[in-house]
Amino acid sequence: MTTRSKVLVMRETRSAYLFLLPSLFFFVGFVIIPMFMCLFTSFFNYTMSDFKFVGIGNYVEMFQDKIFRRAFWNTVLIVVVAVPTVTIFSLWVGSSIYRMHAVTRSFFRCIFYLPVVTGTVAVAVVWKWMFNKYTGLFNTILSGVGAIDQNVSWLGDEKTAIWCIILILFTTSIGQPIVLYIAALGNVDPSLVEAAEVDGATDVQTFWKIKWPSIMPTTLYVLVITTINSFQCFALIQLLTSGGPKHSTDTIMYYIYYEAFKLNRYGYGNAMGIFLAAVIAIFSALQFKVTKSGSVD
Amino acid sequence: MKKLVALLLAGVMTFSLAACGSSPAPAEEAAPAEAAPTEEAAPAEEAAPAEEAAPAEEAPAAESVAADITLWTYPIGKFGDSATVDGFITAFNAVYPDIHVSVEYLDYQSGDDQVTAAIEAGTTPDVIMEGPERLVSNWGAKGKMVDLTDLWDEEALADISATSEAVVAACKSGSGAYYEYPLCMTTHTMAINKELFEAADAMQYINDDRTWTTENFEKALQALKDYGVDTTGVVYCGGQGGDQGTRALAMNLYNADFTNADHTEWTMNSEAGVKGLQQLVDWCNAGLLSYDAGAVASDEIQLFANETIAMSFCWNAANQLTYAAETAFTPYPVAFPSESGTPELCGGIWGFGIFDNGDADKIAASKIFIEFICDDATQGPISIANTGFFPVRSSYGNIYAGTEDEERMEMYASFQQWLGDYYNVTLGWAEQRTAWWNMLQQIFDGEDVQAAADAYVETCNTATADASAN
Repeated sequence: MTTRSKVLVMRETRSAYLFLLPSLFFFVGFVIIPMFMCLFTSFFNYTMSDFKFVGIGNYVEMFQDKIFRRAFWNTVLIVVVAVPTVTIFSLWVGSSIYRMHAVTRSFFRCIFYLPVVTGTVAVAVVWKWMFNKYTGLFNTILSGVGAIDQNVSWLGDEKTAIWCIILILFTTSIGQPIVLYIAALGNVDPSLVEAAEVDGATDVQTFWKIKWPSIMPTTLYVLVITTINSFQCFALIQLLTSGGPKHSTDTIMYYIYYEAFKLNRYGYGNAMGIFLAAVIAIFSALQFKVTKSGSVD
Repeated sequence: MKKLVALLLAGVMTFSLAACGSSPAPAEEAAPAEAAPTEEAAPAEEAAPAEEAAPAEEAPAAESVAADITLWTYPIGKFGDSATVDGFITAFNAVYPDIHVSVEYLDYQSGDDQVTAAIEAGTTPDVIMEGPERLVSNWGAKGKMVDLTDLWDEEALADISATSEAVVAACKSGSGAYYEYPLCMTTHTMAINKELFEAADAMQYINDDRTWTTENFEKALQALKDYGVDTTGVVYCGGQGGDQGTRALAMNLYNADFTNADHTEWTMNSEAGVKGLQQLVDWCNAGLLSYDAGAVASDEIQLFANETIAMSFCWNAANQLTYAAETAFTPYPVAFPSESGTPELCGGIWGFGIFDNGDADKIAASKIFIEFICDDATQGPISIANTGFFPVRSSYGNIYAGTEDEERMEMYASFQQWLGDYYNVTLGWAEQRTAWWNMLQQIFDGEDVQAAADAYVETCNTATADASAN
């Protein structure tokens, strides 16, 4: 490389870094530094009136805390149920409507995307009304057709509350994956599909051998984002159940909020936050590893 | 190039760290409040009689200081309405033009979180309006508030004591400092659907003074069921919203105490407390009452307003006003049923506190603002009337006399005689609130009542002990 080329490259690199600088500033200030502060304070009994080093005391307490363990398993249940169902349903809907007329396709996109753009509070209020024990839509319909003898407190029953939360989470999570899958399926190289069809491949074979590998990056993105959103399920819990009944809908995120903001145990909340971040990182890494092996460039 | 990037990154990191680290001086280091020591405050017994006490007249503007202060207020009556509060500030600025007040309106859903975040970020407001459970036993006990003992002069102490010693005690911390200067108060009641009770011939079980015994309450529930009412009332336990209603209900049934007299221990696992809780479970099992672990007080009130249920356990004067337009029946407020027939009602006390932000001028200006809103002869009654509650100062008398609210408020004022101990100031209050509705969920789900109450009390007492230790 000539000296002149080096100067040009350096000038371009410098410009790139300068353009990145504002974003870098915010990223460092609002993400990286708080993360380190979170890690640092997780080793302290950090409350509104105390800041005392306790080593790994918060982490030890966390694993001995029955409510935390319940919250962790509830969170895992939400992730294990929500992530595959959201991904599979989105893929099914996406593959069903991506070849439709543009107007029809847009109509379905709007329908499925509506819960995403609607505020969480509004969504929660509507669902809360539908789940109401005395005046709710579900009980009215079910008792009307004779399916239930007594009204069910959907959000107040340990057996049903977590499933209600998962159902609402499902409806608010599918919008973006469906839109992404429609776009990804529309971008699959038609010559590959035509070549497969000419070679006698069935629709199922075409999908799994041609389209599925082509949309794997989208699937990876959907999996990672849905996993993170499911792990961080909080607003629905806060608005609908406050973690009840009997902690059956407590999630780690809600428990962090409760400990940090209601009881002012910031250090303990931060320890749980670090644990949650580690779990999400592990899950995401696994998803990267698994899905990357099946993707095509 | 690498050096340049490294230098920039280091600069960004250093700047960010400096920005994050520039929190204000902690409360302990802040300028001391001007308050006189509590020991010097006149004891209630020595204070002038209420009849002689008079609210402070408008303070002369010459005493004012120049400062910009911020007020955060929860939605206590019309203190959540910007037009109303702006009117108060305009009146204040007519007397004190050099003190500028900016207001932020909190709600009960996220207000506490905003305050917590502000405390940790060092961006608390100067003045905040709420009750003793937050101002005194939470933020005050943690050293975040200014001691307001100097506002509690002999006249104020005598005037407020004449209304209720419980109000004075609630505004005072265990260390003797006053962290709240009260404006208004009320008693929380329950309410029944009068027409439905009359139709079911259940009004006979309620005394003329709106009290009833536990035995008669049960008879009324039975009468309602016999009349065909599907759901008489709902013991809501889906969260902490309006939990004073379920506490008052369970506590009064057999006249239990919620805490000991010193507010150092929780006592609902007593024989009377457990009996009351067991009674609720029994009524629910018998179909005389219902419970809902998916509902909070606002849901229950809505069910009452739309006549799905016959009674509400979360009622007060402000609720009646709020739901007046929504109800097609007469909401008839009654005291909670008690074995003795003499209930002990939960109270609500609202007033102002000052966060210790270390600025003496702002603290002085905040005190002037609080005195104007609470004690000014003209503004004080207006402020109280806009909360929809009652004055803590006896000298204000009946502020609703001659207004369209007079009859309604006179009726609610009659409940003040049963105002019980303000145990909300017990340390560990936040933990108690969550433990309470979780305990209710457990007992309604079939767990042993005594065991659940014991576990609840243990949780609360541990929290109280921890808070005391800090």
